[in-house]
Amino acid sequence: MRNYLLKWTQTIRVAWTNYTTYRINFFLQVIGPALVFFFIKYNLWSSIYSAKENLIIQNYNFSEMINYHIWALIVGLLAQGHTAMNLAEDIRMGRISSYLIYPFNFWEFHTANFVAFQILQIFISLITIGALYFSPLLEFHGAFAFIQGYIYTLYVSIFWFCLQYLTGMMAFWLEETWILRVIVMMITAFFSGAIIPLDLFPPDLVAVLNYTPFPYLTFYPIKIFMGEFTAIGTPYMILSFWILIFIVINSLLWRKGLKLYTAAGM
Amino acid sequence: MKHYLQVYQKFVSTAFTQASSFRISFFLVILMDLFFYFSTLASVIFIYDHVEYIGVWQKSQLMFFISFMLTLDWLHMTLFSESFWMMGEHIRTGSLDFILLRPIHSIFSVFFRHFRPATMVNGLVAIFFLIKYGLALNLSPLSWALTPFLIILGLTLLLIIEIIISIAMFWIVEGLGVNFLRMQIQHLSRWPDFIYASLTRKVLTIFLPVLLIGSGPVRFLYDYKDYKLLIGLIIAIIISWKLMLILWNVGLKKYDSASS
Repeated sequence: MRNYLLKWTQTIRVAWTNYTTYRINFFLQVIGPALVFFFIKYNLWSSIYSAKENLIIQNYNFSEMINYHIWALIVGLLAQGHTAMNLAEDIRMGRISSYLIYPFNFWEFHTANFVAFQILQIFISLITIGALYFSPLLEFHGAFAFIQGYIYTLYVSIFWFCLQYLTGMMAFWLEETWILRVIVMMITAFFSGAIIPLDLFPPDLVAVLNYTPFPYLTFYPIKIFMGEFTAIGTPYMILSFWILIFIVINSLLWRKGLKLYTAAGM
Repeated sequence: MKHYLQVYQKFVSTAFTQASSFRISFFLVILMDLFFYFSTLASVIFIYDHVEYIGVWQKSQLMFFISFMLTLDWLHMTLFSESFWMMGEHIRTGSLDFILLRPIHSIFSVFFRHFRPATMVNGLVAIFFLIKYGLALNLSPLSWALTPFLIILGLTLLLIIEIIISIAMFWIVEGLGVNFLRMQIQHLSRWPDFIYASLTRKVLTIFLPVLLIGSGPVRFLYDYKDYKLLIGLIIAIIISWKLMLILWNVGLKKYDSASS
């Protein structure tokens, strides 16, 4: 057991070193896009709200709208940052042969990578929150809402990891998996309320979306941070249901994919 | 010029051959672009369901601007996008050597090499929305005639700025991060200049002139007296073209060829 844990900690350490060695790349790839996305939204909503004094849009005043997007930034950093690019690359380039003979298998290796990435993102998100705390933009809604929101967002990141793992696994069948990954990211960003709050969507569309996991990925965690929802019960149950489904599909795909695997380059 | 056209014809025919080999990827790219158009347009429509104006523009004006940028983006995706992603790979693996040896200008050889046939189809969607919102605005015949030229003008500036940014790959080597930076520049340019605060607007108009790409042409199409940004766009193209050539040569000197 001790040896097994040692393998995990060592792999996490190596992954952490990899992420922090290529700092410029990491910043441009993970943090930069989230910041630019927020910057555009801040300017857009400032422009909209400056047209009329005390304007309220679907119960959001300017401050609430900006707070929504600040928390969307934090949720984005914590939950959606990790990609399964390396996973797909490993399959496509025939590198999984190593995992088949190593005592630390494929999913363990990539899960350890994900854990390392999340530890890094926890630091980055806390620094971002810390910086915004001293600005007039961010409103805190109590420690309970913050802790609840933070833990729930970390749980959302597990959903994302399973979904990314699934798209990466498609490398057994597809030449390019980045297209699939981008499609999933775009659909989810839009329908989860990461671009504009779901309150601004047509009510019929929101009614349909409530039957999908999308609102629970961005809209719910933001509302928990904003003290409007609680994380107890339904959100965890729905996410757990989907995570379980992805785990089953991923293990099926792995077994089927291995039969097709040709170990390119060997 | 004839020589370059012949080479480009070969680039395009190779791209079609490659695309026909990976049919699932071909359809996924179409799907990806369609969803991008849908989410971009729908986001603005949903906002306009609750407000009358964004900045100084009403719905049709901003939707025309967005459609203008989507059409520009469609051309960019079809003609150039793939080449930017491949450039990092060429530098990292040293395969840039073979590109540099070709008897054509290296910028042409690097950035015009990868044509993406799958995105061609989606142009119809972008152009449909451009026409739809242009009609809603009652654009004059002259504006309609100028639109294709102004799209190409905007695309030229975007391309030059992106090449300048991509030159950083000669130093950073791993091109992925630089490509993400390039995409952020695209995001910034997809909104009209007036949504940005005064200082940001100045920076993104003068020093990193991404706001000239769409706002210059579209403002001119709405009102011919509003030509300052369009003039700025032409000046920015001339200055950044010269800067690009200088930086490209500096970058090539830095390139140390991983395969040699």
